[in-house]
Amino acid sequence: MSEKLQSVKNSLKRPRKKSRLPLIVGASITLVMVIIGVISMFWIPQDVNVSDPSIRMLPIGTPHHLFGTDFLGRDVTSMLMTGVRTSVIIGASAAFLSLFIGTLFGMLAASISKLDEPIMRTADIFMAMPGIIFALVLASTIGAGYVTTIFALTSFFTPAFVRVTRASSMRVLSEDYISVARLYGRSRLFITIRHVLPNVSSILIVQFTIYFAAGVLSEAGLSFLGVGINRPSVSLGMMLHEAVEQIGITDPLGVWPGLGIVILVIGLNLLGDGLRDYFDPRFSQRVR
Amino acid sequence: MGRFILRRLAFFAITLLTTSVLIFTLIRAAGGNVAAILLGKNSSAEEIHKLSTELGLERPLPVQYFEWMGNFLHGNLGQAFRSKQLASHLIWSQAPVSVPLSLGGLILAIIIAIPLGTFAAKNFNRPSGAFVAVLSQIGIAVPVFWAGLLLSLVFGVHLHLLPTGGWVPWSENFVGALRSLALPVFTLGIVMASTLTRYTRTAILDVMNEDFVRTARASGMSRRVALIKVGLRNASLPLVTVLGLLAAEMVGGTVIIEKVYSLPGISRMILDNVTAREVVVVQSTVMVIVVYVMTINLIIDLAYGLLDPRIRVGK
Repeated sequence: MSEKLQSVKNSLKRPRKKSRLPLIVGASITLVMVIIGVISMFWIPQDVNVSDPSIRMLPIGTPHHLFGTDFLGRDVTSMLMTGVRTSVIIGASAAFLSLFIGTLFGMLAASISKLDEPIMRTADIFMAMPGIIFALVLASTIGAGYVTTIFALTSFFTPAFVRVTRASSMRVLSEDYISVARLYGRSRLFITIRHVLPNVSSILIVQFTIYFAAGVLSEAGLSFLGVGINRPSVSLGMMLHEAVEQIGITDPLGVWPGLGIVILVIGLNLLGDGLRDYFDPRFSQRVR
Repeated sequence: MGRFILRRLAFFAITLLTTSVLIFTLIRAAGGNVAAILLGKNSSAEEIHKLSTELGLERPLPVQYFEWMGNFLHGNLGQAFRSKQLASHLIWSQAPVSVPLSLGGLILAIIIAIPLGTFAAKNFNRPSGAFVAVLSQIGIAVPVFWAGLLLSLVFGVHLHLLPTGGWVPWSENFVGALRSLALPVFTLGIVMASTLTRYTRTAILDVMNEDFVRTARASGMSRRVALIKVGLRNASLPLVTVLGLLAAEMVGGTVIIEKVYSLPGISRMILDNVTAREVVVVQSTVMVIVVYVMTINLIIDLAYGLLDPRIRVGK
C-alpha cells in the first residue's frame, strides 16, 4: 500500500477533533455561580441589610470585608453572593417556564395548521408588549419582587420560544423526509416527537441558554431601573442602581456587580454552545 | 401577495385591540382609587367621590374602556388629570429623543451584525472567525446599562469627548443633540449587534450544511459567493424572526439607556406618570409604544413573505 493512500485512509478514519473547551469552561463557570448561590442560602459573611456607618466605603481587600463595604457600611461580599443567587434563580425560572410553554405552543403552531394563526397572533400580542414597560407597569400595580419579575420575564420570553420553535419546525417539516414519513402513515405526534424535536433541539438549547442569560440581564435591568428586586432582597442590578444613585458612575462599587453579571452570562452562553456541539452530530461533519 | 398583506393587516388590527384590553385591564385592575391618590392623604370621602365623578372614573370599566379606545382611534389620547396636558403632546415631546435613539440603535446593530456574523461563519475554523465569535459572546453578556456606564466613564469622564448625559434639544443645537445621542445610540447598537451577530453566525452555519449550498458549490461558485448568494438568503428566514424579537428588545434597551444617560425620553415620562397614577396617560403611552413595535413587526412579517414564497402561500 502506498504511503499516500495510507495517509488518505488515516484522514478519513480520524474523527475531526471537536474542542470541548467551551463546554468545560461554561459548565465550570455556571457550576461555580450556582454553588455560590447555594452557599449564600445557608451562609453569608454578614447580613446584607445591616449597615454600620463607622465602616463606610472600605476598600477592596479589607480583612473581614473582602470586597469592601458600600456607602452605608454594608458588606459587599455578602451582597454579591446574594445577588448571584437572585440572578440564577430568576434567570433559570423564567427561561425554563418560557422554554416549556414556548416549545409546546411553537410545535402545535407548526404541526396543526388550524392552531397556527391563533397561537402566533397570541404570541404577537405578548411580544408587542414591550417587556420592560410591561414589567414597569406590573411592578407599580402589584408590587415589585421575585414573583412579579419572573412572571413578567416569562410572559415576554415565551413568544420568542414560540416563534423560534415554529420557524425552525416549519423548516424541518418542509424537508422531503417528513413527506416520506407522512406517506408512510406516521402520525403528526410521531413526526413531531421523532423528527421535529431532535432537529430543533439544538436551536432550543441555544435559545434556552440565551434566555437564561437574558433573564439574568433583564432582571438586572429591571432592578437597575428600580422596579425589579428591592431591599430587603439583593440583586446585582439593584447594587448598580444603589451605587449610581448614591455616588455616581465613577464609583468602583459599580464594577463588581456588573462583572458578576458578565461572568455568569458568559458562562451560560459557553455552556449552551458547548452542549450544542456535543449533542448535535450535524456540526461535527460540517461542509468546508 | 395581496391576500397575504390583507390578512396580515387584519390581524394587525385585531392584535392591537386585544392588546389594548390587556393594557387597560392591567393598569386599572390593581390601581387603587385614582382620585384618592390624586387628592393626597388629607382628603375626605366626599371630595374623593366628587373628583372621581368629575373625572369619569365612577362609571363602569367597559364604558371607560370604550371611551378611551374610541378617542384613541380618533387620535385623541386623553389628558393628564392634574396638569391637563394632552397625552399626545406629552408623548410627542419625547419622540425627538426616543425615536432616533431606538431606530438608530437598531440600524447600527444591523449594519454591524450582518457582515460580522457572515464573516464569523465563513471563517468559523480560523482565528479571525473565532475572534468575532468570542467578541459577540462577551458583548451579549454585558448588560446594556453597564455598557453605558463604562462607555460614559471612558468617553465622557476620562476622554472628555462626549457628554456623559443630559439632553440638548434639536432646535436649540443640532450638533449638540447629535452629540448627546451619540453615546446612547452607540451603546444600544453594539449591545444589540452582539446578539444579532451570534444569530447570523448560527443561521449561516446551519445553511452551510444544506444541499443547495453544496449544489451551488458544485456548480462552480466559490465558497464566498455561494454563502452570500445562496446562504445568506436562506439564512435570512430565521434572522428575520430574530429581528422581530430585537424590535421589542430595542424598546427595553431604550428605556434603560435613557435612564443611564438621563435623557428626557419615554422612560422617564412613563415612570413619572405611573408613580403619579395618571392612568389615562400611561394607557395611551404604552399603547403608542405597542403600535410602534407592532408596526415594525408587521413590516418584518411582510418582508418574511417576500423572502420565502412558502410562507406567503401558507404552509
